[in-house]
Parts: sequence; structure tokens; C-alpha cells
Amino acid sequence: MTPRGARIGRSLLLLAASLLFLGYVLAPVAWLVSSSFQSESEITSKPPHWIPHQPTLKNFEAIFGAGERDVTYETRRKADPSSGGFIPSTAKNLLPSMWNSFIVAISVVVLNLLVSVPAAYAMAKIRFIGRQTSIYAMLVTRVIPDIALVVPFFLFIRKLGLLDHVGSLIVTYLAITVPFSVFILVSYFESLPDELDKAARVDGCSRLQALLRVFLPLALPSLVAMILFAFLTSWNEFLLALMFTQTPASQTMPIVVASFTSDFTISFSFINAAGVLAVVPPVILAIVFERYIVSGLTAGAVKG
Amino acid sequence: MARIRFEGVGKRYPNGFVALEGLDLDIRDREFLVLLGPSGCGKSTTLNMIAGLEEVSEGSLFFDDALMNPVPPHRRDVAMVFQSYALYPHKSVYENIAFGLRMRNHPASEIDRRVRDAARKLEIEPLLERRPNQLSGGQRQRVALGRAMVRQPAVFLMDEPLSNLDAALRISMRAEIKQLHHTMATTFVYVTHDQAEALTLADRIVVMKDGVVQQTGTPDEIYEQPRNTFVASFLGNPPINYLDGTLEVEGREVSFRRGGLRLALPPHVAQRVASQSGRAVTLGLRAEDVDEHGTPRVDETVHGRVTSVLPVGSDQFLGVEVEGRPQFFRVGKEMRHREGDNVALVVNVNRLHLFDRESGRSLVW
Repeated sequence: MTPRGARIGRSLLLLAASLLFLGYVLAPVAWLVSSSFQSESEITSKPPHWIPHQPTLKNFEAIFGAGERDVTYETRRKADPSSGGFIPSTAKNLLPSMWNSFIVAISVVVLNLLVSVPAAYAMAKIRFIGRQTSIYAMLVTRVIPDIALVVPFFLFIRKLGLLDHVGSLIVTYLAITVPFSVFILVSYFESLPDELDKAARVDGCSRLQALLRVFLPLALPSLVAMILFAFLTSWNEFLLALMFTQTPASQTMPIVVASFTSDFTISFSFINAAGVLAVVPPVILAIVFERYIVSGLTAGAVKG
Repeated sequence: MARIRFEGVGKRYPNGFVALEGLDLDIRDREFLVLLGPSGCGKSTTLNMIAGLEEVSEGSLFFDDALMNPVPPHRRDVAMVFQSYALYPHKSVYENIAFGLRMRNHPASEIDRRVRDAARKLEIEPLLERRPNQLSGGQRQRVALGRAMVRQPAVFLMDEPLSNLDAALRISMRAEIKQLHHTMATTFVYVTHDQAEALTLADRIVVMKDGVVQQTGTPDEIYEQPRNTFVASFLGNPPINYLDGTLEVEGREVSFRRGGLRLALPPHVAQRVASQSGRAVTLGLRAEDVDEHGTPRVDETVHGRVTSVLPVGSDQFLGVEVEGRPQFFRVGKEMRHREGDNVALVVNVNRLHLFDRESGRSLVW
């Protein structure tokens, strides 16, 4: 083969591999979105189809209208607007749970910033006794699987009187996310030269001002990575939420969506519409911060 | 304006490493003081202590009569130029220079006036809107100088500011820094490991090694009257030559002897070591203190065989084996030496240095 032919062949191979990978990643999401606009009968029809034949918004109407209805065994068939399937009896919990998820995720992000940024700055730029040890100690906590922490967490949360309260999730999610957030930021702050810190302080900055006026603007990409990480972890977390929440007062979206599958009968169209709603906030966040994401996630990997 | 005083200052790190020991130093107001030494000698630590960037673990540091130990850097009236320039990458050149003034709440009009003034002096006016990553090394260096200048600080600190520049630029910047010292009329403390920078810039040089001051003095004193072999070797290009030997006293004449080599010591040296016949000493002979044109005289001449000839443009370095030891001398380039030639070089005995072989301490100064 000529060199040019080899180059084209290589490009085509890479393109084919990329498309395959893209399809593999995106197909479930595409099916989720597509089926949320289909009626229950259309979803279960054979063969299944990607493009809805009779697109319907009734699944979403059911979600947003669920609060007004009381769904019981007797009424649920009649109440279901989407083509004779069922809507779950816990449907009306969906929107409140989304709000709970939102509160928890935003709180975790904000508290993460407040705790991790100063911690990372101190670990990266202040030489104190036990500095290395504290960095390793934080990382080691992340080696322990969450399931091993559930019981101690549970006892702790009960002592605090936070059971069935969103506070329980905020506290435990912080414990899970802060070590990794600090790790992301430490590696980035360490890549910024010490002399920059010194220059800022000689120029008249206190430690805090040096952090706020010099380091934070420079660390923006890794801050975005940290924000996304904390938000997504909180938004998606299931295990701890299942343990610590019992009522709609504190249940988060993954718990409520999961509960739809344990109802009398399962409505896939309804669940998929709920799934679409669950995907929206992270996607919006990703689009807003898109230009920072790649540089942020690789920050610290390569120094300089 | 400030006088800086170190009294018994030491720096000990938590891991036990001692970076600085028992430093007593009085830096006069408006003086240009250079801290000179190899890396790890404690010179940067000393500078960082003046800036407040490192805590003083022992002793006291004063600005005029005010104890500065507990004062954080942003409350000290110091400005600093760093080796890496340490410009803020996210700010324009203008904002980099203005930052220190903004942090000290100067009025906007005054900030603007001072920034433009400094930019004009440093000839970086067209660059004010650029970001640091759009500048060359020399331009960044100027911005870093500007950032320190506009503050009009009481103390101006420089940490190897020229090390990252190419050789030609380094020499012209030396002149500019000297000029800057004249116009600013403030105390300058300058850290370098480059002897040429130290000799050209300093009013006084402090030579340091392993956290201990070896000698403090004017450039001439440091060069002409080194207190020990470390100081003597650190300055001079090519470095000073050493020959181990013994003292020989005959009446009032004292001479240095090594094998077949005998050099008469001048009276000011002779009188100090008159009673120490047989003492093991090290002779120091600066590369330029020989004269290949002189008429060879007894007891004032070294003989040897040329091992290398290294022309350096203005003159040439001659490698000569003297009494089994390789030595380097600086001679005029009109001499046509070849490897293997035998040469006789007349020594300027008045400029000989003599050190104790054991301790390396000067027996003269």
C-alpha cells in the first residue's frame, strides 16, 4: 500500500472505531429519550423502534400532573394518561425528590468549595508537619468501599438526629467527595509555581487574598472539574440515600425513580420520562462548563 | 529606606535541616548587598526571611529598629523579583504591574501614573495590554522589575533575577539594575551564584556556604583578600590555582616550597608566618597573577609544561603542569604556546595567597 493509502486506511479505521464507541455510549441514552416520548404499548411492541410512530408528551404530563392525583389500585388504570399502562403510586414524589436532589447536590458543591479550596491550598503551598501524611490519609479513605461505611455512617447520622433529612445526605456525601476534590485541587495548585504565591504575598496579599486573587482564577479548570465531580456524585448517589431516607421529605431522585420499579406494575414509559428529567441538570451543567472540562480533568496529570 | 539587621538569625526546618546558622549582618540603608554562594548555601532563605516568606526560627530580624520576626510579608514594605519572574498569567502586563498598588489601595489615577511611568522607564509601554505568555524572557524580566519598581518599596529584593536570560541580555540587564539602584535610592538585596554579577553590582558581598557566612566585604576585599579557600575558589575565572607545600624560613626570608618549586613570600605575608617553618600550607595563585614576559627571577618563577591552550578571544587560558599539579593561567594571546612546550612564568609574589592546609583558613587575611 502507498503511504497515502495507508494514512487514509488508518483514518478510516480510527473513524469506524470512534463511531462504534460513540454508538455504544450513546445508544442507551438515545433509547431513554426516544422511549420517553412513546406510549407503553409502543415501547413494548415488537420490533422496538428508535423513532416514535406516535410521539406523545403524556408521560411528562403524567409526571407534572401526578401531584394533583391520588393514585390507588382502583384509580391507577383510569388515571394513566399514557395508553393504558400504569403510573406508579409514588409518582407524585418525583418532583419533590428532584428538588431534594438539587438541594443536596448544590449544598455539597458549595461546601466542597468552601472546604476543599483552602485545604488544597494549604496542602500544596504551606509546608507544615504531617502535610504529606494528611494528603495520603485523605486518599486512603477513598479506598474503602462505601458499603463498608454504611453502618458507621448510619449510627452517626442517627446520633445527629438527621435520619430522613436531606442533611444526612449532605454530611455523608461531603465525606465521600471532599477527599477527591482536595486531591484534584492539590495536584493543580502544586503545578502552579511557589514563586507565584510568594509574589502575591510580597505584593500585599494575605494568604487568603493570594488564594482568592491569584490561585482561584488560575485554578478555574480544575475547580470546574471538582464542581462537576461533586455535583454528579451527589446527584447520582443511591446506596447511602437508600439507607438514610425513608419518606418523600428527604428522598432523592434515584430512590424515587427506583421505587417505580417496585410498584404493583411497572410503567416503562413513565420511568423513562423520569430518567430524562434526571439527565437534564447534569447535561446543562456539562454544557455550561464544556470548555473547561477537558483541561480540568487532565490538570495535574501533566505538570506545567 | 531601611536598614536591615540580622542578629543571630537561624533557620531550622521541621525535618531538622539547618538552612542558616547564626547570621549576624547589618545591611545599611541604600546599600546594594549581594548574597553569593552555591545552591543550598542559605542565601535564598536569607532573602525570603527579609521578605517574610520564611519564618525566622532563631534570632531577630530588624528593619531600622522595628522587630520584623512576626510581621507577615504583606505588612512589610518590600518588593521582590524572582528568578522565574512569577508574573500572574491571568493578568495583563498593566495589571501585573498595578497589582501591588491595588492591594495597597492606592487611588486609580496614581496607579495609572506610576504604572505608565515605570513602563516608560523600562521601555515596555507597547506591551501593557499583553499577557505574560506573549512576552519574551527579557520582556518578562522587565515586567517583573516594573512590578517591584512601582511599589517604591523600602527594600528591594532580587532572587537570581538574571539566571534565566541569555548571556548578552544578562550583561545589559546588569547595567540597568545598577542604574535602577541609583535612581531608586533604596536598599537592594540581591541573591546570585554568579560571581560576575556579584562583583559588578555589589557595594558589599556576603559569601555563604552551608548556611554560614564565609566572608563579608566589598567586591575588592572579597577578591583580593579571601579569608579561606572556599571564598578564594568561588571568585575568579579561571578559578584560583592551589599548590600544597610547606613553609621554609631562613632568617627573615620566608618561602613556599613544593618539590623543586620555591617561591619567596612578600614581607607582609612573611612576617605573619615567620616562626612556622615546616608548616603544611596551601598556596593560592590567581590565574592572572603571572607574567610570561617578565625575566625569570630566582624564587619568583614557576616552570611547567603546557598541557592545553584555550583561547578565549581577548586572551587565552594556559593549562600548565607545575610540580605534578595541573594549573590554569590567563596570559596574553600574542604568546604562541603549543602543548608540550616548557614555559617559565613570573609570579607576582605580592599577590600570592597562603592558606592553612588543614582548615583552609587564610594565613594572610
